[in-house]
Amino acid sequence: MPQDDVVVELASVSKGFWRDKVEIPVLTDTTLHIPRGDFVAIMGPSGSGKSTLLNLCAGLDRPTTGRVIVNGQDLGELSEARLAKWRSENLGFIFQMYNLMPVLTAQENVELPLLLTPLSRAERRRQAETSLRIVGLSDRADHYPRQLSGGQEQRVAIARALANDPVLLLADEPTGNLDAASAQEVLDLLDGLNQQFGVTIIMVTHDPKAARRAKRLLHLEKGTFVQADIEALEAAR
Amino acid sequence: MIKYLPLIVRNVFRNKIRSLFTGASIAVSLFLVVTLYALLTHQDELAEASKVHNRVAVMHKAGLSGQLPIGHLDRVRSMPAVQVAAPMSWFGGNYREETVQFAQFGTDPQTIFKVYEELEIPPDQLAAWQKDRTGCIVGSVIARNKGWKIGDRIPLQGNIYPVDLELTVDGIYDGPSTVDREWLLFHFDYMDQALQEMRYPTAGNAGIVMLRTTTAEQVPQVMRAIEDAFASSDAPVKSLTEKQFAQSFTEMFGNVRGFIRYTSLAVVSALLCVAANTMAMSVRERTREIALLKAIGFSKPSVLTMFLCESVLIGLVGGVVGALGGKLLFSLVDLSTVAPGLGLFYIPWGTALWGLALASLIGLLSGLVPAWRAAQISVIDGLRKVV
Repeated sequence: MPQDDVVVELASVSKGFWRDKVEIPVLTDTTLHIPRGDFVAIMGPSGSGKSTLLNLCAGLDRPTTGRVIVNGQDLGELSEARLAKWRSENLGFIFQMYNLMPVLTAQENVELPLLLTPLSRAERRRQAETSLRIVGLSDRADHYPRQLSGGQEQRVAIARALANDPVLLLADEPTGNLDAASAQEVLDLLDGLNQQFGVTIIMVTHDPKAARRAKRLLHLEKGTFVQADIEALEAAR
Repeated sequence: MIKYLPLIVRNVFRNKIRSLFTGASIAVSLFLVVTLYALLTHQDELAEASKVHNRVAVMHKAGLSGQLPIGHLDRVRSMPAVQVAAPMSWFGGNYREETVQFAQFGTDPQTIFKVYEELEIPPDQLAAWQKDRTGCIVGSVIARNKGWKIGDRIPLQGNIYPVDLELTVDGIYDGPSTVDREWLLFHFDYMDQALQEMRYPTAGNAGIVMLRTTTAEQVPQVMRAIEDAFASSDAPVKSLTEKQFAQSFTEMFGNVRGFIRYTSLAVVSALLCVAANTMAMSVRERTREIALLKAIGFSKPSVLTMFLCESVLIGLVGGVVGALGGKLLFSLVDLSTVAPGLGLFYIPWGTALWGLALASLIGLLSGLVPAWRAAQISVIDGLRKVV
């Protein structure tokens, strides 16, 4: 696969945490290639290393050994300050709890990552409006998070993640806090973003139905990828 | 940072009750501190403004407790560069049943309005007073507060001197807001004759002599000349500029400046703790939001600056209400109606703006530790298990 087509590359990555002078391994010698335009679902039991993997891809954490390269940039080479800037230019985040700013309207929440860009106020506004249109919430632009349903809040969060036109969208349990109908809407949206706009998505989920919407399923067990298929996982649930 | 202003402002007011109480505590404390400081600074400012009148106060070397033989007055008047001089003796009498005294001076009706050239009085009223030994002139503020008008009788019971005075209002003086318009001026001779008739020991003495020189440059030279002239007399004197004279009253109460400074320091310290606690609570409540900001690319310095701006803004709001509000309050409320002698009190602009700067500094200092902690929040811990 040509290097340019790989968005995420984990090369022999290991990560452990220290608890009372004992190192607890979370990821062990993990290697992963995610091509541009891929939609990967990562499943696995609690403590299997899913969130740690996502944190490493986001540059929020650093591996004990190995390299994490995202969009051609070795994250280990960046200082904390440059990593923050790099995240603002390359990544979009979607969280289980939405994490919208309660004091800002939907429009302002979407504009938040754009404050870090040199865009003018009018340009930021236009870009945020476009993102809200994509997620179908143009009519809710002036609403505060408390005035929105859970599904709508998550769609605003997706619009915020899209606002800076990210190379990679990282979603951690994006449907974990939603009812079935809202979850379906959010998954349709992610699917559409991947299909129509070619956005590369890594989604951590516990829900096989959500995982089924991805192009690829990766299953983590005790810090290592193992073979698994959706049917087996659904049956296990 | 301007781009972040809407977020900063909304975060300041997100918890309205808490912001209100914090802002109110800053405002009340700032009002207190600024008012205390203004007690000194307004006097300094007035005294500084009075420098243009080139006035010098001459008193006994022992201070205001000593007496100046009235004969000194003529010698002072005859000195080169002394343009005009008048005696001023504090009578300190009680008006009717009132226990709070106002300023009553025995003086020379021919010269006092030349010494205090900024006081304004209609010539016919001045002439009437000059001819009336038992007459008096009152300031427009005290006349208004006590309902006095020309022709009214004012009985004063002596406290310092064993004589009572029966005075008639012959005129009402006015002047710019920077001059004291709460004085009552009567003939020095009227009081002194009563004292001489009863052979009172201090008869024939004045409290101080207030003089005016022709130019400002002559003031130090005249002060020196007067002190030298009376150095070997039975009543040696000291001379003070009008500013020094005004400050000497404050100093009579001891180290007032030090007292105000230390009281203010204590108030500001307590305020710092209150404001810092508010900011710390705010940071604790917003751990997840801070983590989000850092996750999406806000740097540590950005987060630090945003929180510092928040705390400075809280301080500024309190400062505007406390310091500028205090200035407005004292410019609208006439204190002479409730506290005689304080009619001239105001908060100088310099003191009000100093209060505003102090409020901002309190905001900044109180926000330092919470803002630093906010900047250090780990994204992973802040978002819990989420990314």
